Amino acid sequence: MEGERLPKLFRLSPMKTIPPPCPEPEVGPKYWRSLDQLAETPEFNEWVEREFPAGASEFTDPVSRRNFVKIMSASFLLMGVAGLTGCRRPEEHILPFTRLPEGYVHGVAQFYATARPSRGSAIPLLVKSNDGRPSKIEGNPQFSGGRGGTDGYTQASILNLYDPDRAMRCARNGNQVSREEAFQELQSVVAQFSANGGQGLSFLLEPSSSPSRARLQAVIAAKFPQATWHSFDPVDLDVHAQIASNAAGQPVMPVFHFDKARRILSLDCDFLGTEQDSFVAIKGFSRGRKIENAGNELNRLYSVEALFTITGGAADHRLPVLPSQVAGVAARVAMEILKGQSPGLQKVADGYKGEEKWITECAKDLLAAGKNALVVAGQRQPEVVHLIAHTINQALGSVGETVTFIPAPAPLKGNLQDLAKTLSSGQTKAVVILGANPAYSAPANLDFAVQLKKASHVVRLGYYEDETFAVTTLHFPEAHFLETWGDGRTGDGTLVSIQPLIEPLFGGISDLEILARIAGMNSFRPYDVVRDTLKGLVPEGDFEASWKKFIHDGVLENSAPKPVAVQISAEKLNNAVAQFAPPQSAGGDQYEIVFHRDYSVDDGRYNNNGWLQETPDPITKIVWENAFLVSPKTAQALSLSLAAGRDPEDYKNNDIGVVKGHDVVELEIGGRKITGPVWIQPGLADQTIALALGYGRTRTGRVGAGAGYNAYLLRTSESPHFAVGAKVTKTGKIVRVVSTQEHGAMEGRPIIREANLEQYRKKTDFARNMDIDAHAPNAGPIYKHPYDSNPELKSKVHQWGMAVDLSSCVGCNACVIACQAENNVPIVGKDQVNRGREMHWLRIDRYFAGDVNRPQIAHQPMMCQHCENAPCESVCPVNATVHDEEGLNIMAYNRCVGTRYCSNNCAWKVRRFNFFDYNKRPNAYAKMDGSLMPGPLYKGPLAKREPLEYDLIKMAKNPDVTVRMRGVMEKCTFCIQRIEGAKISQKVKAGASGDVQVPEGTFTTACAQVCPAEAIVFGNILDENSQVQQLKKRDRNYEVLGFLDTKPRTTYLARIRNPNHAMPDFTESPLTMEEYIKGHNPSPFEAHGSGAHGTSAQPARAPSKGGH
Amino acid sequence: MAEATHNLKVQPPPRELEREPLVLNGRSLGWISDRVAGIIEGPTPKWWWAAFVPSVLVMTLCFTMIAYLISTGIGVWGLNQPVGWAWDITNFVFWIGIGHAGTLISAILFLLRQKWRTSINRAAEAMTLFAVACAGIFPMIHVGRIWFAWWLFPIPNSNSIWPQFRSPLLWDVFAVSTYGTVSLLFWYVGLIPDLATMRDRATTRARKFLYGLFALGWTGANRHWSNYEKAYLILAGVSTPLVLSVHSIVSFDFAVSQVPGWHTTIFPPYFVAGAIFSGFGMVLTLLIPLRKVCRLEDVITLRHIELMGKVILATGSIVGYAYGMEFFIAWYGGNPYERYAFENRAFGPYWWSYWIMITCNVVTPHLFWFKWVRRNMVVVFIISIFVNIGMWFERFVIIVTSLHRDYLPSSWGYFMPSPVDILTFVGSFGLFFTLFLLFMRFLPMVAISEVKGVTPQADPHHPLGGAKEGHH
Repeated sequence: MEGERLPKLFRLSPMKTIPPPCPEPEVGPKYWRSLDQLAETPEFNEWVEREFPAGASEFTDPVSRRNFVKIMSASFLLMGVAGLTGCRRPEEHILPFTRLPEGYVHGVAQFYATARPSRGSAIPLLVKSNDGRPSKIEGNPQFSGGRGGTDGYTQASILNLYDPDRAMRCARNGNQVSREEAFQELQSVVAQFSANGGQGLSFLLEPSSSPSRARLQAVIAAKFPQATWHSFDPVDLDVHAQIASNAAGQPVMPVFHFDKARRILSLDCDFLGTEQDSFVAIKGFSRGRKIENAGNELNRLYSVEALFTITGGAADHRLPVLPSQVAGVAARVAMEILKGQSPGLQKVADGYKGEEKWITECAKDLLAAGKNALVVAGQRQPEVVHLIAHTINQALGSVGETVTFIPAPAPLKGNLQDLAKTLSSGQTKAVVILGANPAYSAPANLDFAVQLKKASHVVRLGYYEDETFAVTTLHFPEAHFLETWGDGRTGDGTLVSIQPLIEPLFGGISDLEILARIAGMNSFRPYDVVRDTLKGLVPEGDFEASWKKFIHDGVLENSAPKPVAVQISAEKLNNAVAQFAPPQSAGGDQYEIVFHRDYSVDDGRYNNNGWLQETPDPITKIVWENAFLVSPKTAQALSLSLAAGRDPEDYKNNDIGVVKGHDVVELEIGGRKITGPVWIQPGLADQTIALALGYGRTRTGRVGAGAGYNAYLLRTSESPHFAVGAKVTKTGKIVRVVSTQEHGAMEGRPIIREANLEQYRKKTDFARNMDIDAHAPNAGPIYKHPYDSNPELKSKVHQWGMAVDLSSCVGCNACVIACQAENNVPIVGKDQVNRGREMHWLRIDRYFAGDVNRPQIAHQPMMCQHCENAPCESVCPVNATVHDEEGLNIMAYNRCVGTRYCSNNCAWKVRRFNFFDYNKRPNAYAKMDGSLMPGPLYKGPLAKREPLEYDLIKMAKNPDVTVRMRGVMEKCTFCIQRIEGAKISQKVKAGASGDVQVPEGTFTTACAQVCPAEAIVFGNILDENSQVQQLKKRDRNYEVLGFLDTKPRTTYLARIRNPNHAMPDFTESPLTMEEYIKGHNPSPFEAHGSGAHGTSAQPARAPSKGGH
Repeated sequence: MAEATHNLKVQPPPRELEREPLVLNGRSLGWISDRVAGIIEGPTPKWWWAAFVPSVLVMTLCFTMIAYLISTGIGVWGLNQPVGWAWDITNFVFWIGIGHAGTLISAILFLLRQKWRTSINRAAEAMTLFAVACAGIFPMIHVGRIWFAWWLFPIPNSNSIWPQFRSPLLWDVFAVSTYGTVSLLFWYVGLIPDLATMRDRATTRARKFLYGLFALGWTGANRHWSNYEKAYLILAGVSTPLVLSVHSIVSFDFAVSQVPGWHTTIFPPYFVAGAIFSGFGMVLTLLIPLRKVCRLEDVITLRHIELMGKVILATGSIVGYAYGMEFFIAWYGGNPYERYAFENRAFGPYWWSYWIMITCNVVTPHLFWFKWVRRNMVVVFIISIFVNIGMWFERFVIIVTSLHRDYLPSSWGYFMPSPVDILTFVGSFGLFFTLFLLFMRFLPMVAISEVKGVTPQADPHHPLGGAKEGHH
């Protein structure tokens, strides 16, 4: 049922039409810019070279309407080639569309298939384009791995397109040069090496899955056989493939099938959050958590980790250990499973002493699951842990079941250390850097920026004029993936296409073009490169048809390689074990630092993305910066002022910090020091200090400037992921670390309702048994329900509702950003978040429960509940928030005067008020200056935002959604623009038939669409076929604060955990439930008197019955 | 006849039954006119300038802050999510509460024939008006888009959109504007005979003209007096329910909502009692220094002060009872959210504000059980300040501590005022004092005609009565 919903999602989109056959033959990929082009006059060539590059590099004036229309119409030409608008080629772009591109209806959004390249993978997408400007990214439902879901980074990546701080010019030694000059210089640099076969020429690349790039690399390698190739990524997710290839003796890449796994052991592997293609993993994992009735089985997740990740939050059992001890735990588990087949492991296993029973019982459970078990090792862990994981999987018979290996391209030979060496020795004369920002993110011991200066030529293609820009001799602005052609492979090897939706806004250049120019290809246009690559990948036949289908679908069917049989040799493991030097463990005043990929800014590449900066970390809820995370015990050992004289339980609630601020400490390791604030994080392994990468940039845009602390300064190439032996010194200073959720305990309230699987089986309707009024069956409302008193006001066709399955939700934040992108939700800046004014319509509440050292986490997406009997509506003095006949709680921004009474009266506090004109506030005002006044003096309507910044950000807006001004209240609308769009389409379709009910699966809200776990489900509760109605009928369904009798249309499905009885940390109930029962509430698993769930009370509570 | 009366020996009542006179030292009617009118007619005292100039400066500060607020956005205040109202509505309720004493004194005490009201009612009513003016500012400027604030009024428009009559905020608009209008009328009607006195005493043409204009041709004719008395009685009758309704309706802003800590049925009577409590507190704060500097001790006597002290004691006890009852109901009602709200009030992050409130509103008024306290002007003045502080904190406690932690702990927050919050509130005192100082300099701050009416001389049967000496 769940699977069927999404493919239908875009039934109405023009994507579904197969391109019509071409009436006249096409002559290659050319798209004319003018008739002069045909003439190939020198003026034309000059003009081509100047038009975009120079125009763009001088593009410091606002994106005027004229310029924009120009860019836009050029983009249409591109799309025309893409196959959507047929094969007609409109000639020169003329401002008014005297001849419309085919299929173009002004104001109607169009969807194009493309993909976002992500490290060694690619995420297939369907991108919405409004009048030529991309405005919203969705997952491509054609891609079986994602089924329409995506992740937060992808959702936010559209904002990078309109980033006013992106690189916009070609530069030589930091000074602007014309584009042709820059290309000439590139040619001359390359020409120097043509004689000696590339001796002294080095390439530094980020991992990529693009076959085109691989092909060009091969061409260049043939031309310059002596050139060296280096791969660099601060968060190297390629290790999975490298280690697997090494162990298997052939280039392979592991593909984990979380949907098939019944028992999963994660060895420091945050596969739901920061590993490759986490949205695919979430999709698979949540499949195993879906529970329809008491007969269902659930998967079970064991997590061994130092950080508290969202994987740990989703785990049924979590063991916090130091990162250096994960190998020990892995070896202990392996010894239990391999039963002495690998005696050498004892040496590794000695690294961990502690919860023996946890390990043995976990191993027993894995053994019992056999081939349905899966052990995964995290990218931070050393090779030995990965090999142990593979060995266990092999021993359990999981290889080929829950984990498969597919052929992968051989990884690049060199790494950053090699390049640093050759630079230092002067062997490397010229470096070509594509994308990476090594001057910022390289290990500190390499002193990479200094090394780079030793090269005579540093050519770089970069998205920002960042730290590395400062040391380049020749810099090209990089094109956004929505501006250029490309290709890639997803995590399972499926080939995907990248097609542009817009002409480069600032003359950005793709990496394919740079490589093609270096390779000296006939045509260096990415379009040609990608086409030519595809020619080698599809079977002989009608290439045009395959090409069109490829571009149109975005994915090449059946292009995923077949899994290969792989034997992980025991010898490799033995070697690794033999080489394994047990790390010195932290203790005393020696702490262990973990460097981790940030949930918001990744490794720093999204540092200037306001949406991501303002996305709360899913665990800490910190925004706009990173902090040194320590466990409560460690905080006490450090005698932090926050920790002094505090009940440890208080650490679950950051509100101590809100009042007192956070201690600033100096962190020192190996002579390198940084200072920053300490954040007490319950559940973190003791003696650990977690430090997110990606902040503390010295040269970035106006959004990222000044945000956080640079962890790279402590990172060395010897210990890039965790380092033992850090020392902490207090500085005595106090700063405020800003988070969006100040109180982390649920206070025993039945907000998130959880049970263990066995408890659920015993009493499937326990969740409703936790309602305050469950014990008072006759306590009914005094007043009639508004729909009962006025039944004519209620639509018989549509009643919208939402169900959120807390069992599936892992708290990945994708919905938060999707909502922000869809609904033009502004960012407000750190200072405003500090004042509690974040604007997110959809937030994810995170609660800790249980012992502060080993808490459980529960997540709950919280947005407008669309109460039928809404408390906000009755208090608004001007009728600005009212109810419609389809059950929506409507907010009329035009009518709002901003009394904020509705927000006060909302029990869920989901309404958001525009305290300032956030859309007009310059980004520079987003900073926190520590003064009592709200940010630097904001001059109100007199203040002017820089036109470029302002206009660009306007381009990212969804034209179907009002941009709210200051002084008005706003909140989740259930994406009313999508509802109305679907209704209009259905009405058009229905015609005289009168069948105006929007069929299930036609559309959904932004949050539901993006959710890889399919935890959020939206639909028409009057529709018998709707999934939302089915979910609302389930016995786990409950209303948050239902006793207020507001009849929320958003309901939640209680979370079911699946712990193992035999484990030492097993508790009879989930910890939130224990706290609930401890709060003098009766156990919801025991039957009450017959009245408790009297038939009279129950249907009234079940929203499935037509809405109330 | 007059002769006979004169010779009749009236036995004075025993000393313990003797009422303290309302005007001391047997001051003559002429003295009363001269003394009260003298405040206006004499040269401007130095202390007046010393008070007026700072008041105007502080008032300017208020309007500067409001200009900054309106030009920039509500964000210049410390409000946030979840605390959507804080100092704005606290100040509103605080000022509107203060505005309760005047009309209570003029109307309810008039209907109850409490003659002691006469020497303080004029100043108290003026205070009411100015307090209502200060109160009116806050709900107006607290809205996000002040330029659309008129949408709260039921003005027919082309879109046929009416205000939402279910919203207590709308009721507020009606309640406060009605109260303000009636109070103004009542005050003005009471002023008419005194304005005529001022006209008659005027020495400059401008004064003669202006007082004459507002005296509406008052001649003191019997018919005038007769109409005046009727009008005054009717207005007193109209005002009386308003005294009770305004603050009841203001309390509905909270009671009608579903916020734990707001949603209680006890609010209307409790708010009215609190309003009277705070109003009398402010009357005392104003009159104790004024009677000194204007040398009105014989008119606003210790007895007056003492009586007001008793009112404060009574209403303070009601308020204290209400505080206790709220806690009892929170426990007895069995609603965990409600229970938490009250625990949090007393022991949560804002515990200090709660205990300031208890100290000022519940503990200090009980000093008025002691007569020497009631008659010690310094102590009474200090207690009156405590009452003002306590009542401001009462509103702060109700509004902020209830909002900052309600149903979902995830949205709990903390409110801290911004400098603009503080300066706007301080500035509103500037407005209040500026208006009051102007009032006392240009209008008789004691109701001359009414005070005369309660002197023994005004009683024709009194040995001194019959207006045998002095003049009106």
